[in-house]
Amino acid sequence: MRIAIPKGRLQDRTLELFTAAGYDTPPEGDLRTRRLVFQRGDIEWIFVKDCDVPVYVEHGAADVGVAGLDQILEHNCGAYQPVELDFGRCRLMLIAAPGAPPLTNVATKYPRIARQWLEQRGVRAEVIPLGGSVELSAVLNLTSHVIDLVETGETVRVHKLELQDVVAEISPRLIIGKNAFRTETTRVRELIARIENALEAKNATAVSRIA
Amino acid sequence: MVEKKLRYPTGVRPLLVEETARRKRIESRFVNILEDAGFAEVVLPIIDYVDPYASILSRDNSRSSYRFVDREGDLVAIRSDFTPMVARALAPALDVSQLPLRIFYRGDVIRCDASRLGVNRELFQIGAELVGDASLDADVEVMNLAVKIAREFGIQARVVYNDTSIAALLTDDERRAVATRRALTPSDIARRLTPEIAARLESVAAALDPSTFALHLDDLDEDTGYYTGIRFRLFGPDSRKAIAQGGRYDDVYQRFGTPAAAAGFTFTIDDLD
Repeated sequence: MRIAIPKGRLQDRTLELFTAAGYDTPPEGDLRTRRLVFQRGDIEWIFVKDCDVPVYVEHGAADVGVAGLDQILEHNCGAYQPVELDFGRCRLMLIAAPGAPPLTNVATKYPRIARQWLEQRGVRAEVIPLGGSVELSAVLNLTSHVIDLVETGETVRVHKLELQDVVAEISPRLIIGKNAFRTETTRVRELIARIENALEAKNATAVSRIA
Repeated sequence: MVEKKLRYPTGVRPLLVEETARRKRIESRFVNILEDAGFAEVVLPIIDYVDPYASILSRDNSRSSYRFVDREGDLVAIRSDFTPMVARALAPALDVSQLPLRIFYRGDVIRCDASRLGVNRELFQIGAELVGDASLDADVEVMNLAVKIAREFGIQARVVYNDTSIAALLTDDERRAVATRRALTPSDIARRLTPEIAARLESVAAALDPSTFALHLDDLDEDTGYYTGIRFRLFGPDSRKAIAQGGRYDDVYQRFGTPAAAAGFTFTIDDLD
């Protein structure tokens, strides 16, 4: 079984979760090397850019992965999303340039989601796909708006941008290729159960700490 | 500029001599097996009007075909799915007294959703249909024939199947939840089955070899397309890709004028490599 771990924002918490679920995840020392594939027991761990996890899983290059709903929707990924994870949540938001000009064009890393959302709202605006630092395009008045993830809202405040609307609530999910589910049913169902139990155990500890 | 002339559009490529020879060998073995099993070949056009299929193909489905306006101003599509085309070709001349019919077809389908990794736009398919037999035996015959063909190619097939009519027992939200989130477990769904569907699934399961066939009650597509009954996918031993798929679609012929039950499957030959 091959598991795709997203590099970056979600990596550490994802590995913690798999460890808590009793999986033998690659040790930290190994991760600092340039290796991309780690065989531990009968599981192969691969580390890929977060936006590529849905692609790997959907096409069977990985059986299981963890991906944000943003990437799942953007890739129109048909993989199963059986478990919603309790960390790394954020919002995909419509953000206006300083002074909130009328909505004419939107810069975003999520052109597919942006077009769908604008269409659903009956708003005619041009979508401009950018690779990163999307807020900059509103700061520099390249576009009237951007659609991007907002975690703390710090970037928005610093640049005097204006949060206008929630496009989607984003949470990371455990995703499983449909064909992996069909052909590796037992192992995959066991993995889901173990991840769910690990999440529950974590929540139970958190609750008992408060109480 | 030279680079542009060298390459082909994404998802298509020529087969050169060796590959063509290989393809031909695979094709002739297929044809032999199907003819031995009593199936006769039909040849279908590579383009057809879009209109006649409007009620059968979902929007997403018809969007995956290349469409254009021909000289007369009609919207025409390059074929992207054989099954409805077979029905449109056969239905008007279907002689009910001659049923059941065993038909097979082969050829390329072309789809325009090729930006997705590893998906060819041009796929060579061979498929078979049993027309005019609504019985469980027909389901079982079609599924077993697919497994038999795989075996002829040295593939120990595993087949995952379900009954599409289960989708009608669930609410839209539940169906979406099953298709994306697996919100209902197989036992949740088992409790919802009507006695009729449950009995049908039991008889089918009893007739199939349990080491090859597995019933997954929670394996439902969000869009079940034109399928109305059994829906199955056939896998090789280490594959994450189905090499064949099929099922029962009893409403398709009726849309073209003559009601007839039908079940069939399609192998995508490139996936046999």
